[in-house]
Amino acid sequence: MTDPIAPGDYTPATLRTEGEEEAARLPALLARAEHLAGAVLLGAHGRRRAGVGDDFWQYRPAQIGDSRRMIDHRRSAMGDHEFVREREWQIAQSVMLWVDQGASMRFSSDSRLPQKSDRVRLLGLALAILLLRGGERVGLTGTRLPPRRGNPQLLRLAEVFCQDDKADYSPPEHRAMIPHARAVFISDFMGDMSGVKLALTKAADRGVRGVLYHVLDPSEEAFPFRGRTIFESVGGTLRHETLKANDLRDRYLERLATRKAELQSLCAVTGWRYGLHHTDASAQAALLWLYAALDARAGVAA
Amino acid sequence: MTILGGIGFTAPWLLIALAALPILWLILRAVPPAPIRRRFPGVALLLGLKDDESVSDRTPWWLLLLRMLAVAAIILGLAGPVLNPQEDQAQGNGPLLIVLDGTWAGATRWAEQMQAVEAQLSRAARANRTVAVLALTRPEEPLFQAADVWRSRLAGFAPEPWQPSPADVARATAIIDQMAGFDTLWFSDALDYEGRDEMLETLQAQGDVEVYQTAANVLAISPATYADSVINLQVARAAPGPAREVTIQAEGRDPAGNARILATANGSFAEGETLGTAELSLPAEMRGRITGFVIAGQRSAGAVTLVDDALRRREVALIGGRGDREALQLLSPLHYIEQALAPTADLIDGSIADVLPANPDVIVLADIATLSEAEAAPLTEWIENGGMLVRFAGPRIAASDVSRIDEDPLMPVRLRAGGRSVGGAMSWGEPKSLAPFRDTSPFFGLPVPDDVTVTAQVVAQPDPTLADRVIASLSDGTPLVTRKSVGQGQIVLFHVTATAEWSTLPLSGLFVQMMERLAVSSAAAQPDAGDLSGTTWTPLRIMDGYGTLSDAGTLPGVDGADLVSAPAGPALRPGIYANADRRLARNVFTADSRLIPASWPADVPLRGLAVPPEQPVAGWLLSLAILLLLADVVASLALSGRLLGRRGTTVIGALVLAICLPHGPADAQSAEVDAFALAATVEVSLAHVITGDAEVDEIAAAGLQGLSDVLFFRTSVEPAPPTAVNLETDELAFFPILYWPITPNQPRPSAEAYSKLNTYLRSGGMILFDTRDADIAGLSGTSQNGRKLQDLAALLDIPPLEPLPADHVLTRTFYLLQDFPGRYNSRDVWVEASPPDAEQIEGMPFRNLNDGVTPVVIGGNDWAAAWAVRSDGAPLLPIGRGYAGERQRELANRFGVNLIMHVLTGNYKSDQVHVPALLDRLGQ
Repeated sequence: MTDPIAPGDYTPATLRTEGEEEAARLPALLARAEHLAGAVLLGAHGRRRAGVGDDFWQYRPAQIGDSRRMIDHRRSAMGDHEFVREREWQIAQSVMLWVDQGASMRFSSDSRLPQKSDRVRLLGLALAILLLRGGERVGLTGTRLPPRRGNPQLLRLAEVFCQDDKADYSPPEHRAMIPHARAVFISDFMGDMSGVKLALTKAADRGVRGVLYHVLDPSEEAFPFRGRTIFESVGGTLRHETLKANDLRDRYLERLATRKAELQSLCAVTGWRYGLHHTDASAQAALLWLYAALDARAGVAA
Repeated sequence: MTILGGIGFTAPWLLIALAALPILWLILRAVPPAPIRRRFPGVALLLGLKDDESVSDRTPWWLLLLRMLAVAAIILGLAGPVLNPQEDQAQGNGPLLIVLDGTWAGATRWAEQMQAVEAQLSRAARANRTVAVLALTRPEEPLFQAADVWRSRLAGFAPEPWQPSPADVARATAIIDQMAGFDTLWFSDALDYEGRDEMLETLQAQGDVEVYQTAANVLAISPATYADSVINLQVARAAPGPAREVTIQAEGRDPAGNARILATANGSFAEGETLGTAELSLPAEMRGRITGFVIAGQRSAGAVTLVDDALRRREVALIGGRGDREALQLLSPLHYIEQALAPTADLIDGSIADVLPANPDVIVLADIATLSEAEAAPLTEWIENGGMLVRFAGPRIAASDVSRIDEDPLMPVRLRAGGRSVGGAMSWGEPKSLAPFRDTSPFFGLPVPDDVTVTAQVVAQPDPTLADRVIASLSDGTPLVTRKSVGQGQIVLFHVTATAEWSTLPLSGLFVQMMERLAVSSAAAQPDAGDLSGTTWTPLRIMDGYGTLSDAGTLPGVDGADLVSAPAGPALRPGIYANADRRLARNVFTADSRLIPASWPADVPLRGLAVPPEQPVAGWLLSLAILLLLADVVASLALSGRLLGRRGTTVIGALVLAICLPHGPADAQSAEVDAFALAATVEVSLAHVITGDAEVDEIAAAGLQGLSDVLFFRTSVEPAPPTAVNLETDELAFFPILYWPITPNQPRPSAEAYSKLNTYLRSGGMILFDTRDADIAGLSGTSQNGRKLQDLAALLDIPPLEPLPADHVLTRTFYLLQDFPGRYNSRDVWVEASPPDAEQIEGMPFRNLNDGVTPVVIGGNDWAAAWAVRSDGAPLLPIGRGYAGERQRELANRFGVNLIMHVLTGNYKSDQVHVPALLDRLGQ
């Protein structure tokens, strides 16, 4: 996907427009609730069985005990038997997003590439749109924006996404996670790992499954630097000076690989899924992957 | 100065610093480049990583090389390098005298010589030597001054059109003797002259002498001579050499009076010869127009020879009395004068009526007393236009009553009856001899031979004017030759016969000289001093050392003898001199001049002029160093990634844009204009003015499209699609007609647009104003559109108008029309008023009206609406009702056709009124 809007220029309105565009390319996402029984709130989520809902599920012969007003006369008039129209049992799933707003995300190595923060906000909102369209309830982790349904939630999300965080590396928000809901964490995971570890452990405790989405700039993957260099974090809190940057490359890549492995093992332990995305790749592919990852049946998720 | 490898250095010890360059290389290599600051979120992963070695990246070798080059350029520049150092010349340190010959012989190479002098001056300036410059052709006491002062005065020296005279050399020698010891550089022009050796000795006594002279040979041309109808030219060269050809150009005026080269001849020097010749044969008429000969490729006074009357042959018409004694040739009245004039003049025979059309310079009438009125009138006119009539007396004049009582217009004086004879057998006294010529006489200075005697003559009547008219008299004071001026010409009367009957004058050499002085004949050869003694010649045009002629201004006259014999100098400048009617050219190189090459003793060093001047290059090297350092700045910035930062890119982008921007749109605009001009001119295109009202403009465009279609189908006019014209921006000149619908709200054109419109109207364009309201357009001004039209047209250059008369050419240019309807049918159409004196000629159907196209047609019939068609060709708007409406549309189309025909063919149809007359003449 190409960004028609320059990085960092998102306002709530434009962010939503772009999110809508992104979401329009996919069919409505119907997230599966892992715990059918544990679902506490009903929503327009087909459960493949008769129940409370709006969509047609099946006609069955009327039985004793069925109220007469339940008889579907249109179908019954076609034959001698009386039929009752059953609707599909639908429930709603809560999905909680955590999108890294830290300063480290506001980085792109090339003017042609979007900043990481732009990409993750876009992905987060697109996902939210898909989920909301599917009738899910979407919100943020933490207490700021609990999951709700409907388009107004989209506006609130977009508004929150447009606020930058001053801190260089912000840890995942792990408070107020709804049990058995699903969660999506999108970040570059460059900061301290303890926060991630804590959030994921806590989520696993509450039965929350989800996706850990690792977004990196290509330069963070390639480390194409040479010569005497002072590296500074985007917020300016960290700095590291080297005389020969090219000598650091191998060791940096090693550390990055370690970080990725650490995240993956964490996911494996907690039943989350781990995904990696580079800002030079297409956002559509990323959204597809997120869609698939959220749509995956319980237990299939790695 | 030290010379290293052909380059001189003023401060060579500085070059030692070059040895420090390798050390600098090592130092620069060791210093790490400035660190680059990078934002990088991954820094969290880098924390704690240590560098393997403490040595940083090295500066790239090419950047080091750049800096080395810059430093080397600075060192070399400061060492004071000089190109073309003249190390082989002795460099003294005392005063320096530069001696210039300054003659015409060096004029061709003068620029080269001055360059060499300048090189020497700059060299002297470096050595802090004082310099004096002495030109031998104008010796003035020089002052030893700083060389730079002389350098600024160098432009004031110019070659003179003469050689140093002995007096000049003597004066120069005297000046040199007064000065203290100095070295000398002598810029010689390679020609010898009197006193040069002594001069050299004097200079050598003062110090070293070096001589500079060009290797090129000096060429000169002698005055042209004319013999046997061929112009002989002689060229000379100073030094004999291989065989060589030179081109000689004859310069003169063409019949229109413009200077041009009339002919060229090739002069050739044989091998080892210093003289070459050329011949040129030209018709007399062209010969007379030659003003000089020039050796092509030379630019000196010696290579130019001016031509005076020597080449000019006067045409003299000789008319004698009726010869009843033809057999006796020696008694023919014209014999002696023929003999006197034949070598130097072209003679014409015939009667007066025959010779006058040939416009001769002189007409000689030998003893012709009376002239008929038919002869006298044209003759008088010819004299008044500058002709010269020379009459000789004789028995017929003596016997006639011509100029007896009243002065005959063709006689200078009144004559007494009968004449007189002295010294004959029947009279007392001796034959009279001539008195010396008075100084007012043109013959002044001619020697009077004793053997010229006069035995008979006609005698002038004493008159108040007689004394002024006598130019030669006998020893007893009787007039012998009288002259009077008539208009621009003159009449001269010899009171004796042209034969030896009455005097011995025609037998003597004096007769020929008198003829020359009277400019009856021109001198066959250059006159000698004796011929010219006693005459004063005023310069007309003088020549400078380059051979360029200029006006003489108020230069004083020179004595005739000096003019020929004296050497040229400040008092006698070469050029054209005039005395009364005669002209004499004084040339630099005369017939007896010789070119003698200067020879120098062996101990005097002799050099050519082609010495490349020394050129200090320190400035260039230092500039190069600065450029290299600037490049280093850019390269360093690029290397540390700061050259094209976000802001830097913007700035550079803006700069690039600022440089590129003015060109792009301008080109685009001119291309647009060109495209418009091309579209408008490839085919005839009807045009309408954009009013700003979209609907009106649309209808106007559709209307013109409809009219174009009609024209295409019915006539040979095949217009291109109509054009919408913006009065402010578009060129109008391409359109034969502008349709201008009037809307109340359209803006008034700007002043520029009005001036364009007026130019358009004056140069034959036509504007069809359409108020579209069926009102009488612009007359009463009652309608809104009418008032707007008045407002718009107030500033236009519109002639007086009148309602279209029934015989106007618009009624018949293609269709015969009397009505000009559009969507409305109003008769009021206004065109340029016919001239007030236009009358209908009897038998002609029409008046002969204005000659051009009426610049405006004003009406209110909304023609465009009637012409307008849709894109499928069907009418756009309904006109009238039913068949009558269609008829009206047809008439509107016909009016359109007539209008375009009128615009394109003018009053061609008006000329049809002459057809009956033409047919009548053809006999049908």
